Amino acid sequence: MVNPGEKVKVRVKINGVEYEENVSPRKLLVHFLRDLGFTGTKVGCDTSTCGACTVLLNGKSVKSCTVLAVQADGKEIITIEGIGDGKLHPLQEAFSDNFALQCGFCTPGMIMQAYSLLKENPTPSDEEIKDGMHGNICRCTGYQNIVKAIKEASKVRP
Amino acid sequence: MNYVGKPVKRINDKKFVAGKSQYVDDIQVSALHAGFVRSPYAHARIRSIDFSDALKTKGIVAVFTGKDLNPMLKGGPGPWVTYIDTKDWRYVPRNALAEEPRYVGDPVAIVLGIDRYSVADAIDKVNVDYEELPAVTKMEDALSEKVLVYKELGTNVGYRKNFTSGNIEEAFKGADKVIPVEAFNTRLIPSPMEPRGIVARYEGGSLTVWYSTQIPHFAREEFSKDFGIPSSRIRVIMPDVGGAFGSKAHFTSEDLAVVASSIKLGRAVRWTATRSEEMISSNARHNSFKGEVAVKNDGTLVGIRGDLLIDLGAYLTYTEGLQPAIIPLMVPGPYRVKNIHITSTAVYTNTPPITMYRGASRPEATFIIERIMSTVADELHMDDLELREKNLVRADEMPYKNPFGLTYDTGDYLSFMREAKEKLKYQEMKRWAEEERRKGRLVGIGTAFYLEISAFGPWEYGEVRVDEMGGVTVITGGTPHGQGTDTGIAQVVAEELQVDISKINVVWGDTQVVASGMGTYGSRTISIAGSAVKIASSQVLEKMKRVAARMLKADVEEVSYSSGEFTHRDGRKVSWDDVAREAYAGKDPGLYSSVTLEGDVTFPYGLHLAVVEIEDTGIAKVKEYRACDDIGKVINPALAEAQIHGGAMQGVGQALYEEAKIDENGQLGVSYAEYFVPTMVESPTYVSYFAENPFQSKYATGTKGVGEAALIVGPAAIVRAIEDAVGKRFNKTPIPPEEIYKAMLDRKS
Amino acid sequence: MYPSEFGYFKPSTLKEALDFLEKEDARPLAGGQSLIPMLKLRVISSKFLVDLNGLSSLSYVKDEGDKVRIGSMTKHADLVKGNVKESIPLLYDAARQVGDFQVRNMGTIGGSISNADPAADYPSVLTALDAKVILDSNHAKREVDAKDFFKGPFNPDIRKGEIVSEVVFPKLSGYTTKYVKVVRRAGDYAMVSLAMALKVKDGKVEDLRLAYSGVSDTPYRAREAEKLLVGKEISEENVREVAEMASSAVNPPSDVRGSSWYRREVMKVITMKALGGQP
Ligand SMILES: Cc1cc2nc3c(=O)[nH]c(=O)nc-3n(C[C@H](O)[C@H](O)[C@H](O)COP(=O)(O)OP(=O)(O)OC[C@H]3O[C@@H](n4cnc5c(N)ncnc54)[C@H](O)[C@@H]3O)c2cc1C
Ligand code: FES
Ligand code: FES
Repeated sequence: MVNPGEKVKVRVKINGVEYEENVSPRKLLVHFLRDLGFTGTKVGCDTSTCGACTVLLNGKSVKSCTVLAVQADGKEIITIEGIGDGKLHPLQEAFSDNFALQCGFCTPGMIMQAYSLLKENPTPSDEEIKDGMHGNICRCTGYQNIVKAIKEASKVRP
Repeated sequence: MNYVGKPVKRINDKKFVAGKSQYVDDIQVSALHAGFVRSPYAHARIRSIDFSDALKTKGIVAVFTGKDLNPMLKGGPGPWVTYIDTKDWRYVPRNALAEEPRYVGDPVAIVLGIDRYSVADAIDKVNVDYEELPAVTKMEDALSEKVLVYKELGTNVGYRKNFTSGNIEEAFKGADKVIPVEAFNTRLIPSPMEPRGIVARYEGGSLTVWYSTQIPHFAREEFSKDFGIPSSRIRVIMPDVGGAFGSKAHFTSEDLAVVASSIKLGRAVRWTATRSEEMISSNARHNSFKGEVAVKNDGTLVGIRGDLLIDLGAYLTYTEGLQPAIIPLMVPGPYRVKNIHITSTAVYTNTPPITMYRGASRPEATFIIERIMSTVADELHMDDLELREKNLVRADEMPYKNPFGLTYDTGDYLSFMREAKEKLKYQEMKRWAEEERRKGRLVGIGTAFYLEISAFGPWEYGEVRVDEMGGVTVITGGTPHGQGTDTGIAQVVAEELQVDISKINVVWGDTQVVASGMGTYGSRTISIAGSAVKIASSQVLEKMKRVAARMLKADVEEVSYSSGEFTHRDGRKVSWDDVAREAYAGKDPGLYSSVTLEGDVTFPYGLHLAVVEIEDTGIAKVKEYRACDDIGKVINPALAEAQIHGGAMQGVGQALYEEAKIDENGQLGVSYAEYFVPTMVESPTYVSYFAENPFQSKYATGTKGVGEAALIVGPAAIVRAIEDAVGKRFNKTPIPPEEIYKAMLDRKS
Repeated sequence: MYPSEFGYFKPSTLKEALDFLEKEDARPLAGGQSLIPMLKLRVISSKFLVDLNGLSSLSYVKDEGDKVRIGSMTKHADLVKGNVKESIPLLYDAARQVGDFQVRNMGTIGGSISNADPAADYPSVLTALDAKVILDSNHAKREVDAKDFFKGPFNPDIRKGEIVSEVVFPKLSGYTTKYVKVVRRAGDYAMVSLAMALKVKDGKVEDLRLAYSGVSDTPYRAREAEKLLVGKEISEENVREVAEMASSAVNPPSDVRGSSWYRREVMKVITMKALGGQP
C-alpha cells in the first residue's frame, strides 16, 4: 500500500530493457514513458479519444494516457521505438511508402494500434481496419492512405 | 534525374515513423512548467487574486498575474500588418494575462513549477475574486451593442466596410428574378493533433524560443517588439510541428506569459497546451451571409447583395483580420457577375478568439457563392453545372479582372469544367443517384466549383548551398509542417541541379539559420518558396559551370551540364563532386546563392463531387469524395492527392460533424467528447484527378497550390449532396442528423 | 489532465480488497477507462485506489447451461473474443461496440456497470436480459436485479465496502436478439441504443424485451410497449405502435449528441427497424 503523496517502486520492461523507477501512483503511463525519453508516444487529447498515446502493455494495445504507471508494474511495454528490431518494421515502411503520414503526430499511435490489430487479425478487410483503428484520430491524412498502408503491411508481415 | 511530376517518397519520413520526431513537448530542456488559471466567466473584472496557498504547493516556484507581466509588454500583438490594414480596425492589443477576462478560459494567472502535476495542484489553489460583468456570446446580439466586449472601444464592431462594384440598383431592377440566399458557417475548431506549445529560455540578454508555429520569423519580430529585445538576440526555432492548418500563426496570451515569465525568472519555461487549452486557443469560421441575387431567366447572374457578419471572438488575433476583408473579394469566384454590394461586418463577442483555418476566407466565400449557384439552379430548374457554365469567366477574358480588382491569372474554366465532369462522371452519378433513390436508398450527389486565391506574397526566401563534398543544403523561408513540401522543394532542386535527391537536405524553421522568411500558409509554399530555391539553384549551377570551365580550361559557353556531369564540347568531363571540391579550393570560393523572391497571388480552381448516403435515422455519411483540380503544375501527385484527402476529410467534418458549441454562459465544449473530429469510420473513399493540361502560374515552378482546395469547396459539395438526397434546402454547416431527419419528415408529410 | 494525489493498494485476494474498501476512503480501479479520465479531469477524487487487476479470480466466463456467470474483471475484449458469442449474443454485439479497440483491451464489464453511465452499452443489455448483479462485501453477498441496480445516472446500487464481483445472465433460448447503437461518431457513447430480444413461436410473439441506453437517467425498459406485441403477429402497424409507445413514455436528455425530440425519433426508427418494420 502507498499513501497519497508517497511514491511506489515500479519495475517494467520497456522495449526489452528493465527499468526501475519510483513514481507517484497518480502518474500516467504516458508521462512515465515520456519522462524516460520515450517521446515517440504522444499526448493528443484529454479524454482518451485520440489514440496518439497507444502502446502495447503485455502485448495488448492500450491508451497510455488512461493507464497509471503503477499498473504497468511487472509488465512489458512496447512503444513505437521498440517495434523496429534495428530496422524499420514493415508497418513503418508501409506508412512511409503509402504517404500515410503528414505531420506525423498521430503516426506512432496509429502504427502501434495497427500493430496490435494485425496481431489479432493478420488479414483485415478495409472495414475491419476501420473498426479496429477508429480509436486513433488523424487530422491530416483523411485516413485512406493509412488504410492502404495497413493493408500493404498485412501482406508483408515478418 | 527527373523528379518533378513524380510521386517521390517523402524525404523526411523515417524519424516520424520510428518515433524519433521532435515536437515542442518532446524537446529535452530543463525548464519550469507553466500552467494557467483561467476565467470561469465570459466577462469579468478581477477584484483580487490570492495565490498564497498555491505558492506553498510542493514544487511551485512562482505565480504571476497580469499586474506582474503586462507592464513588461511594449504593445502586444495586434493584427498581421503584412496582410491586414490596421486603419480598418478597432482593436485593443492583447495582454500576457487578462485583467478583465473576456471569454471563458481567458488566462488570468500563470503558475510555474517543477512538473505538470504540481502545477495543476497549485492552479486549483489560486483564489480569484471575480466581479462578473455582462457578456455577449452571440454575434447577432453583439451587433445590438447592448453589452460591450470593450468599453474602451465604445462598440463591438471591429470592422465594417462596404464592398461595392458595378451598378447594383440597375442590376436588381433589370433582373427577371430576385432570389433570397443565406449561408452560414458555424464556429469550428482547427484542432491540429499536436496541441500548441512553447519553450522560452531567456539568459544573458538572449531569448531562445522553441515554438509550435507556422511563422517563426514573424514570431521573432513580435517578441522583439513586445519585449524590447533586439531581434538579433532572439532565436525562434520551429521544431517538428504536428499540424497547424492556419491555427498556429497567431500569438496567444499564454505564449506571451511564458516568454515574460522566462525573462522575469531568467529561467527556461515551457508550456504545452492540453487538448482543452488547444481548443480554446484557436476557433475558426463562424460567419453568416444574408442577401439576395438578381438573375436572368437564362441563368445569368447579374447581381449579388447582402450582409456578411463575422465573429471575431474576444480578441483580434493576428490572423482573423483577413476574413472580413478577403471573403467579399472572393464572393464573385470564377463567375462573371459584376454588380455586387456586400457589407462586411466583424464583431467582438465574449467567446474564444477566432483565427484563420485552412482556406481562411476562401471556404467562406466559396460556400456563399456556391450556395448562391445551387439555389439559383433550383429556382430556375436548371442543372447545377449548366448554370455554372453559363456564368463562368471565359478563357478569352483571361487574365480577368474581377469586380474588386483581383486579377485571375490563368485558366480555362469552361474547358476544365467539361474535363472535370467527364472525370468525375457527373452525369452518370446523377443518374445513378436518381435510380437508387427510386429503389428506396437515400443517396445524393453534390458538386461545387471553386476558384482559390493562393500563393500569397509579398515574398519568400530561398537559399541553396553546395558544399565541398557536393552535398546540397536547401534553406527555405517556407515552414512545412506536414504537407511534405520539403519533399516537393527537394524535387524541384534535384531536377534543377540534376542531382540525386538523396544529396539534398532541406532546412527551415530556425531564425538563426534562415535569413528571413514568411512561412507556410495560404497554399503558397511550393509556388513561392519552391520558386525561390529553384532560382537560387540555377544561380549556383551557373557558378559551378564557371568552376567547371576553369577546370576544363575552357570558356563557360563551351561547357554544358547534365545529370551530375559538366561536359566540354570536345567530350571531356568533370563530375559534380569534383567541381564542388574545386569550388572551395580555387579563388572566389564558395557555392551559395540566396534569393528573396517577390511574388503575387495565383488562382487554382476545381470541381469536387460528393456522394452521400443517409440512414433512416437521418445520419448521413459521405461515401465517396471525388476531386478534379487545376493546381498548375503538379510537382508530386502523391503529395498533392494527400492534401486533397486531408482537406476533404476536414470538409466532411465541417459539413456533418464539427460544431464548436458555446453555451449560454459562454462555455465552449472543449473536448473531443463534444467536438466530433471525424475518425476513420467517417472517412469517405477519395478519388483525386488533376487537370491534364494545367494552366501554370507565373511562378518558376508553374504551380498554383493545393493545400486548401478540398476544405474550400468540400462543404459546399457535401451540403449539395445532402440536398440532392433529401430534397430540401440547407444553408448551414454543419448539418446535424437531426436537421436532416426533420427534412426527411417534412418531405414525407 | 493531471490527477490529484491518491494512494494506491493492489490486493492479491478479494478479502484484502474488501477489507481495505470497508475501512478507507477508496475506490476500486478496474479497467480505469472511466475512472482515470475522471481523475484526470479532477471531477472526482479518492484518497485511495484499490487496483482489482491483481484478482485474476474475478475474470471468467462460466457457462452453466441455463445461465452464464461473468466475473466483473472480464474485459470487453474478452467478451468480444467469442466466448459469449453463442451463449449471450446480445452481450457480444454490445461489447463489440463499446468505445474502441484500445478501450476494450482495458475496460471491464464490472467497471462499466459500476460506472452506471446512462449512455453506456451494458446497462441496457443487462436490463433487457434480466441479468443479476452479484455484489460482495466482507459481510455478505448480495444479488441485485439489473432493473434495481441502476438507481440513477452514475449511481449504481453499490454500498460502502462492496464491489461488483459477478454478473449473471440467464441464457435465452429461441430468441433473436439485436443490439442497435446510434452514435454521432465512431467510438462515442450511444446517442440512443436498443437492446432487443424477441421470441416468436408459430408466427406469434411470445416475448419481447426492449431496453434503451441514452434516453433516460437509467436504462429504460419499455415494458408497456413490449406487452403490445405479445400474442400477436408482427405487422407494420403494431410495430409502429410499439415504437410510438416506447418512445413516448420517456423524456430523453438534450445534449451535443442530439435533442430530446430527436432521440425519441431515433428510438422509434431503430425500434421499428429492429422489429423488421419500415420507419
Ligand atoms: C474513449 C472511450 C470511449 C468509450 N466508449 C464507451 C462506449 O461506447 N460505451 C460504453 O459503454 N462505455 C464506453 N467507455 C467506457 C468504458 O466502457 C469503460 O471501460 C467502462 O465504463 C468502465 O469500466 P472500467 O473497467 O474501465 O472501470 P473503471 O474506470 O476502473 O471504473 C469505473 C467506476 O466503477 C468503479 N468500479 C470499477 N470496478 C468496480 C467493481 N468491480 N465494483 C464496484 N465498483 C467498481 C470504479 O471505482 C469507478 O468509479 C468508453 C471509454 C473511453 C475512454
Ligand atoms: S492522449 Fe491518449 S487517447 Fe489521446
Ligand atoms: S499525420 Fe498529422 S495527425 Fe495524422
